[in-house]
Amino acid sequence: MEKKKRWVREVIGNYMVDLAALDEKVVAVSADLFRSCRMEKFMEQYPDRMYNTGIAEQNMVGFAAGLCREGFKPYAFSMASFVSMRACEQCRTDIAYANANAVLVGVYSGVSGGLSGATHWSIEDCAIMAAFPNMTVLEPSDGVQAQKMLRATLNHEGPIYIRVSVVPSVDIYSEEYEYQIGKVSIPREGKDGAILCSGVLVQYALEAAEEIFCETGKSIRVVDMHTIKPVDRQAIRDAAATGYVLAAQDHNIIGGLGQQVAAVIAEEGLQTKFKIAGIPDRFVPMARPDYLYAMFEIDKDGLKRQMLDMMGVEIHG
Amino acid sequence: MLTELSQLKEAALQIKVDLLTLCAQKSIHIGGDLSVADVMTALWQYQMHYDPQNPEDESRDRFILSKGHAAAVTSLNQAAIGCFRKEDFFQEYATNGGRFSMHSCKLVNPFVEVSTGSLGHGLSIGAGIAAGLKRKGNTRSRVYVVMGDGEQCEGSVWEAAMHASHYQLGNLVAIVDCNGLEADGTLEELTGLDDVGQKYRAFGWNVLEINGHRMEEIKDAFDSLPPPTAQAPTVIVAHTVKGNGVSFMEGNVNWHAGKMSAEQFEQAMKEIREKAEA
Repeated sequence: MEKKKRWVREVIGNYMVDLAALDEKVVAVSADLFRSCRMEKFMEQYPDRMYNTGIAEQNMVGFAAGLCREGFKPYAFSMASFVSMRACEQCRTDIAYANANAVLVGVYSGVSGGLSGATHWSIEDCAIMAAFPNMTVLEPSDGVQAQKMLRATLNHEGPIYIRVSVVPSVDIYSEEYEYQIGKVSIPREGKDGAILCSGVLVQYALEAAEEIFCETGKSIRVVDMHTIKPVDRQAIRDAAATGYVLAAQDHNIIGGLGQQVAAVIAEEGLQTKFKIAGIPDRFVPMARPDYLYAMFEIDKDGLKRQMLDMMGVEIHG
Repeated sequence: MLTELSQLKEAALQIKVDLLTLCAQKSIHIGGDLSVADVMTALWQYQMHYDPQNPEDESRDRFILSKGHAAAVTSLNQAAIGCFRKEDFFQEYATNGGRFSMHSCKLVNPFVEVSTGSLGHGLSIGAGIAAGLKRKGNTRSRVYVVMGDGEQCEGSVWEAAMHASHYQLGNLVAIVDCNGLEADGTLEELTGLDDVGQKYRAFGWNVLEINGHRMEEIKDAFDSLPPPTAQAPTVIVAHTVKGNGVSFMEGNVNWHAGKMSAEQFEQAMKEIREKAEA
């Protein structure tokens, strides 16, 4: 039976009301994308705690930096591409350089924007944001994690960027699940190989791991790398010990999760086969996300194929 | 705090003398330092409520150097009110690990409200601070943002200008140092910015136009600011001369930044003193 899916951006938008209730320092800022970020409840309950700059992302981020300077905790809502690129320098200079306690939320991460096309995709945001000193980069994989992640941002010192897919996801975690920034979650254990991934790809990896197990008996660990930076080095060592590591993300293969993992493997001299899966370094025309994920081999079938190829396992039948 | 015009004029001359002294030792953004020196002297030594012993005092006025390259003139004024020793400033300026350099850096200098250098950032941050002050119920403090006129080419300035007016941030005071010159040439040649005040007026701002080298006018402008609880933000459009007071620097793009020779220093000091006496 098909599991029920929900939208992480909706979970985040709704949960902002709870966050605002927990701490009066919480305010919300957006450049005309509150509704797109599903902040309707917040708009209803806390209209005096939101600032809308209109379609002006640079001002949104600079303004948020000013609010931080006065002790507030602004959550800035935009699209991943606009906050990381249009307001890139404000993110770096006004937020990161100041080590400001702002949380930048970018929806439409990766190619999840699908038919909106490359202008609204964001396959570069991790590369950009991770390059800023002080900046923590997060990517939630399901609604439960997103909510716990958001709760964890409240007492975190320093700036955070959260990239949020608009492709719905099944719930991977239970409500009792314990979340910690910087520490991976492992929704499926395994010893014959590991898929290190984030965001919507975690559910595809889980499905791929299940099929691989059913068809070959090989057990594949699925590691949810929700914290892209700072990357959990121990989790990479552990994954490498399986001998086969596939790092996958809805992001350009350059500058994303895969290269963070690659750096650890190379620096520590870990003995493992390794492959980076993601968006190849090129622009493609508009299409639905599922079509794109299949094309880039990061959907369930693609991840399965890439993993088995690396392991040299052939499926007969 | 200085209250008399004569004191302020004297203080401004001292700032200029210090700037030239530094410029004979190190490369500084002397052109834009000199153009804004009179305004900055009045701002720091007359207008602003600021306790050098407590740079995080809630009741302070906030200062943002959006034209971050005018770091030297800012630091010298801060030294003048006792934030740190002027000798230390001269010693540390543009040294490895020093607190003072070509732009302002909060990592090492607690008297820097926010680090700046890249243009077009300050007004948005200032608006955020102004909104934060209102949210906290602080009706006493103002936020002063000093920008250049070349900086007005940055689109983000106008995003912030629109926004500050819309949110009725009357506690926000922008000062535009209109020295007419960018690094590559005049504003007239490069952008045709034209009437800055008219543009801010169209965005709903309260506009004051002054000669930024006449201390009487500068002081009057500060005295006539509406209260921080006012609705419209205020911009002071200060008409100035880049490299003001030094004949070979005035209106000369080559003196956006630089270091003077011993001969140039001698001439500059003579001219700046003569101009102050005139």
